[in-house]
Amino acid sequence: MGVTFNFGQFFLSGRTVIGDTLHEIGLKNDKLWVLTPDTGAALKAFKRDCGDRFVDVGIAEQNVVGIAAGLALEGNIPVIMGMIPFMTMRACEQVRTDVCYQNLPVRIIGTGGGLTSEGGSTHNAMEDIALMSSLVNMTVISIGDPNMIRDILWASMEYPGPMFIRLAQGKKDRVIYEEGTMKYEIGKGIVAREGKDATIFAHGEMVFQALEAAFRLEEEGISVGVIDMFTIKPLDKELVLRVVEETGRIVVLEDHLMYGGLATAISDLLMDRAVYPKAFRRLGIPQVYAGFGTGEELRKKYGYDTEATVRAVREVLEK
Amino acid sequence: MDKQQEIARLEALAYELRKKLLHLCGTYGGPVHIGGDLSAADLLIALYHYGMNVDPNNIMNPARDRFILSKGHGAVCMYIAMALRGFFDYDEICATYGKLDSAFGMHPCKVQLPGVETSSGSLGHGLSIAVGMALAAKQKGQKHRVFCFMGDGETCEGSIWEAAMAAGSYKLGNLIGIVDRNRQLMTSYTEDFIHLEPYADKWKAFGWNVIELDGHNMAEIVAALDSLPAPDSEQPTVLIAHTIKGKGVSFMERDIGWHAGALSEEDLERALKDLEATYGKSGVENNGRNL
Repeated sequence: MGVTFNFGQFFLSGRTVIGDTLHEIGLKNDKLWVLTPDTGAALKAFKRDCGDRFVDVGIAEQNVVGIAAGLALEGNIPVIMGMIPFMTMRACEQVRTDVCYQNLPVRIIGTGGGLTSEGGSTHNAMEDIALMSSLVNMTVISIGDPNMIRDILWASMEYPGPMFIRLAQGKKDRVIYEEGTMKYEIGKGIVAREGKDATIFAHGEMVFQALEAAFRLEEEGISVGVIDMFTIKPLDKELVLRVVEETGRIVVLEDHLMYGGLATAISDLLMDRAVYPKAFRRLGIPQVYAGFGTGEELRKKYGYDTEATVRAVREVLEK
Repeated sequence: MDKQQEIARLEALAYELRKKLLHLCGTYGGPVHIGGDLSAADLLIALYHYGMNVDPNNIMNPARDRFILSKGHGAVCMYIAMALRGFFDYDEICATYGKLDSAFGMHPCKVQLPGVETSSGSLGHGLSIAVGMALAAKQKGQKHRVFCFMGDGETCEGSIWEAAMAAGSYKLGNLIGIVDRNRQLMTSYTEDFIHLEPYADKWKAFGWNVIELDGHNMAEIVAALDSLPAPDSEQPTVLIAHTIKGKGVSFMERDIGWHAGALSEEDLERALKDLEATYGKSGVENNGRNL
């Protein structure tokens, strides 16, 4: 698979892509409703042109999810844009009981994934993938390239059942893949980089960091593959099993608690299939409320920045 | 049919519903939320047999009124009120209630039981869903109403007031809340710990048109339903229906022990006699088993 990288030369606001895409879809598809609990700054164009399908409920996440369920029961496709901890924790039961139990096509876009929010532990989102993945019927997506959002949102108009879409800050996101060269299919991971010696699985903003580590190791003659597992649920099992067979030395890197997210999904699959890698390391947030600082500073402090990723690859190679 | 006859017909149906509820409570073998079923019975009959535009032969009619049982534990009362209207088969409800693979369980499940508009059971959720349905109808210019039936206890949940605020703000004149104000929660009375009063003022403050009524007086219920503002008006309406938990059975009325329970054979007989004493003149004579 050929992937062309910009490798972080370009930046784009994920929120802008969301606003533009929802506007585009909204003009063509009158089933689309856009809702927000007071986090709709990027949604001005939709509000202007599709105002009768725009709902701002104020700061009321439980309510926004219930309303979305009601709209979906009437045949609409509601997209909620909010902050991850409040959408997935404050409103968790509404997401589970009103949306997932009835298998409704509600889409929840959350910003502030992992430790990127800069708001401290109230606003960090380190449990969301564990919570959302555990919900029956839920699809879980983690966006690593802002251009990916466009394809995912368009695809979500046809995709069955509920969906959670995780972003980092969504403000100044690195464009990883050359625009227009990628096709993102829900449920299919991307081989962002082929590698013979070891493989890093990552999602969201950590894909860039995994690539950064891989390029650095290349200078030492170590060939490291990177898998962008942007769909965490359903997991691309075929791809995981193939890669484990090929390199057998696995690092899973994610901006999430290191247990309960992608690493857990992968290790569960490997155990279930009795496929044992030669070495397996997980990098992510330990059992800690991480506090203040930028995402980069916190990843360094808690041991899953680029340096730590390079070290982890070296370690799995020693085994 | 003139109004008096219509009210008498509804009263007879409510008596029938109560008998059937008691019968199920005496035969199911597990707990039935009989207290809150009996407080809701007159209102649910009035809605399904008079106030709402629903058709058991066309359950997906886009023009139908929508009904959400936010107090999902009143499911069996809704099932039987709907069965009396021809939606479901009462014998099937009795034979399968709560059993493996039944469509009829303690809390309504839309996936298993088409004909109910939404699954419910977790309290405080229904009004938000109703707001979503009402917004959808308003945006499409549809003329139906969305009815959301709540228990007063569940209005302790903050999410109810989030939804109430949104309904007032979005001017949802097509949204009708009904509160079964039986003044009891599961283990206490509503004013014991958390004070719901001044209750009507709360709804008014959130922008609602408030109608208070006796939820066991069929003439008052019918009058309230007749007086609902047009669906394209700009203010949601709530009917605060003052009711009695366990209404119609003397040993259940306002008794904390009868939030949910099962009736022994002996108690079933006592309960049916009680009902007969209160409602027996309403003209429907059968044993509660046959439609």
